[in-house]
Amino acid sequence: MSVATAPGALSGLLPESRVLTGEAASEWAGSPVRAVLFPADTAETQALVRAANETGTRILPAGAGSWLGAGGWTRAADAIVSTARLDGVLHYEAADLTLTAGAGLGWRRLGAVLEPNGQWLPLDGPGVGAGTLGGAAACGVPGPLKARYGGVRDNVLGLEVVTGDGRLLRIGGRVVKNVAGYDLVRLFTGSRGSLGVITKVSVRLFPRPEVDATMVFEGGMGAVLEAARVVRTSSLPVAAAELAVRPAGVVDGPAALAVRVLGGREEADDVCSRVAVEIGRAPGRTVRGGESELLHRRRTGWEGGSPLVARLAGLPDRLAATMEWAREVAGPTRGEIMADVLGGVVRVKGLPAGGDAAGVAGVLTRVRRGMEAAGGTMTLSQAPGELAAQVGWTGGGGVLAEKLKALFDPRPTLQSGCP
Amino acid sequence: MIPATLAKSLVEICGRDGVILDEDRLLVYESDALTAYRHRPGAVVLPRTTAEVRDAVTAIARHGLPVVPRGAGTGLSGGAVALDRAVVVGTARMNRIIEIDAANRRAVLQPGVINAELSAAARPHGLHYAPDPSSQTTCTIGGNVAENSGGPHCLKYGVTSRYVTGLTVVLSDGSVATLGGGGREAPGYDLVGLFVGSEGCFGIATEIEVGLVPLPEGVRTLLGIFDRIEDAGRAVSDIVSAGLLPAAMEIIDGPTIRAVEDSVFAAGYPTDAEAALVIEFDGVEAGLDREAGRAAILCERAGAREVRSARDEEERLALWKGRKKAFGAMGRIAPDLLVQDATVPRTALPSILRGISEIGERYGLVVANVFHAGDGNLHPNILFDRRDEAELERVERASKEIMQLCVDAGGTITGEHGVGLDKKHHMPLIHGPAELDAMWGVRRVFDPAGAMNPGKVLPEETAGGWSAERDGVGAGGPAVAFGAAR
Repeated sequence: MSVATAPGALSGLLPESRVLTGEAASEWAGSPVRAVLFPADTAETQALVRAANETGTRILPAGAGSWLGAGGWTRAADAIVSTARLDGVLHYEAADLTLTAGAGLGWRRLGAVLEPNGQWLPLDGPGVGAGTLGGAAACGVPGPLKARYGGVRDNVLGLEVVTGDGRLLRIGGRVVKNVAGYDLVRLFTGSRGSLGVITKVSVRLFPRPEVDATMVFEGGMGAVLEAARVVRTSSLPVAAAELAVRPAGVVDGPAALAVRVLGGREEADDVCSRVAVEIGRAPGRTVRGGESELLHRRRTGWEGGSPLVARLAGLPDRLAATMEWAREVAGPTRGEIMADVLGGVVRVKGLPAGGDAAGVAGVLTRVRRGMEAAGGTMTLSQAPGELAAQVGWTGGGGVLAEKLKALFDPRPTLQSGCP
Repeated sequence: MIPATLAKSLVEICGRDGVILDEDRLLVYESDALTAYRHRPGAVVLPRTTAEVRDAVTAIARHGLPVVPRGAGTGLSGGAVALDRAVVVGTARMNRIIEIDAANRRAVLQPGVINAELSAAARPHGLHYAPDPSSQTTCTIGGNVAENSGGPHCLKYGVTSRYVTGLTVVLSDGSVATLGGGGREAPGYDLVGLFVGSEGCFGIATEIEVGLVPLPEGVRTLLGIFDRIEDAGRAVSDIVSAGLLPAAMEIIDGPTIRAVEDSVFAAGYPTDAEAALVIEFDGVEAGLDREAGRAAILCERAGAREVRSARDEEERLALWKGRKKAFGAMGRIAPDLLVQDATVPRTALPSILRGISEIGERYGLVVANVFHAGDGNLHPNILFDRRDEAELERVERASKEIMQLCVDAGGTITGEHGVGLDKKHHMPLIHGPAELDAMWGVRRVFDPAGAMNPGKVLPEETAGGWSAERDGVGAGGPAVAFGAAR
């Protein structure tokens, strides 16, 4: 089936008001794409995937489309299927601390639904604030709060998915402990839309802590790294710690460590003062409540519209070495670095300098090899089409991953960065 | 009995003391802690390393025999039972902690390491392994990985799958795969998460990397005494709704209290009470008293007649005693015990508890409840005597009704014990044909030959749909499952 007619085979399934084509489609995605389709329920989603499967149309599942700008993700897709209209809250019982919603439920509305009950979904991976619940589940990328609350994969309890070959699966449930059969929820969470289109999500919620406080320690790279080491090895229940460096090219340039403390009033005050004692100095500033939350919400959008974002993960005690590798990426791209101190994860973003695409690809490949040699990984989160194709989103999935892909999306119909 | 050539190969691989062929000694391996299912394996092999597991599995595969992985045999779903004289690959001799990497709060170990021994080894570093199944002094981490085990403190800390970060696994064709590892988040599919809880059907984990957590600085333990079990259930919901997150919340009901108090395990619970609720908070010292105080008030408001609080470790252990010894005590009042494991939404607890008690009354059976209330994970125990055939039949019917009641409330058939042989025929209660088919597909990705723990977890597809027939119970055996007192 040729690319020219394929999206047409899909558009006929939805009213025109829920189909974008041409310039409007590209504008919505932020990068070139022929069509964006917005199914309004599970049945329409299934019909679209089946039609795509029958006609050989390649689709990219998406949520709000907030992460498509650099072009790498949309590169090989004939059309995008966005679940943004599947945005209803389907089941929310506050005392159960669980919620089931359509995949398209936006993060802000989710927050508004939970707030009156003093609850939240403490997922703070890159991009969650601008995206959808389904998008967060599909990407499965945790943020620094993973150390306290677990990551995306620990808090998604159930999913409804349309697989690449058009089957409808309801997996998991809405109870917090469930071992009835194999854990397909963990397989689909974080599969980046490569196995199916997620249409509904059940998640575990948490009570919002009484105090949300963030202490910011600023200084030279050496001093801030040392403060980060103290926090990492402390037995104090710090909820998250992030280290920001800008500009990354400067070896002993200004850096900042943000230590987030969550808990009851006495507990949080106690932990804050003891962290300062252990580090050996008072924080430059401490923000609390909404201000602290805002600071972290902004961090989830840190990647912004950057055309290149890489994620380096290694053992936490190798953070300094991982940051050296991140500098290799940041150097030629004049980028910035953000490190999750407790998780050992370093994010780096930047613009390829002087348009030397081959040079950037070479650097990224070398960095990936370096990370892998030390038992770590490097993943591309965002990249222009050409670069993504050259370097690869991940270091490769292996035979089992390929077989699982073939099981749920044999044709393949779904385009994405996995495996 | 297995072919002599295979026996010879296995002895060559694992040594003479690593292969059990003697029929009398094989008896030890005929069941797990759910003793209704008894099947003697064809042989038991006890490898010491990944290479030995690989070679043993390869040799067994060459003879076309199935493989059943086994840890300590403390499972409660018949998952480690060897059907069709399969060869059991036991991990008893793979009990080495390879590394405790305190700096990165992780440990690498062999699958036969006992759960509590891992925590003991981590303790000098100020760390522990969080998932704490009730059998933690005997169960193995490999078994925990296979079952995705829980435990009382999983309310705050989460279950096994949250802590497993890497696995080396041997698949049924003898190939070795490395999943995740290095403490890192795995890019690509979460194959580690998929493997955890696969009940020995995907392969044998031969090396396991887990995350450790710091020991809490302080602990506060409360015991609420209630005249009505629904009130205890409501207290649990109220505590959660108030934004408190205890480390554990466990309910022990009236029949269980009386069983405990009549036994050598007497914990000083009032015998006229209908429920005892154990609540534990942990964390930094600051603020713990206020949290415990708030929980105590909520218990009183929900109708607790008394709330006790432990002043020291000795008193804390006393408050926990009734919970920890409940299964042992029940073994004294009835010869047989059926343990269920459904999980329901927390808010459904009061109505479900009432429903279970009504079902028990209707069938003239004693149902004792002791369970992880904070997670909504119930363990109704039906007490009976298997020699009474009429009672047996009532037990079977009551058991089915209880399970259906939990499923209808939005729950699931097993929260932590696994499906194994015991609940396989209940799988169609909560999974449709498409979901069961998808699970079969995933299983075949790992085990195309169908040689790894066959006959477990998934019902077979038959011409008339998915089989709901119970199987695996030996001829003449009872049609119900009953757990060993523990």
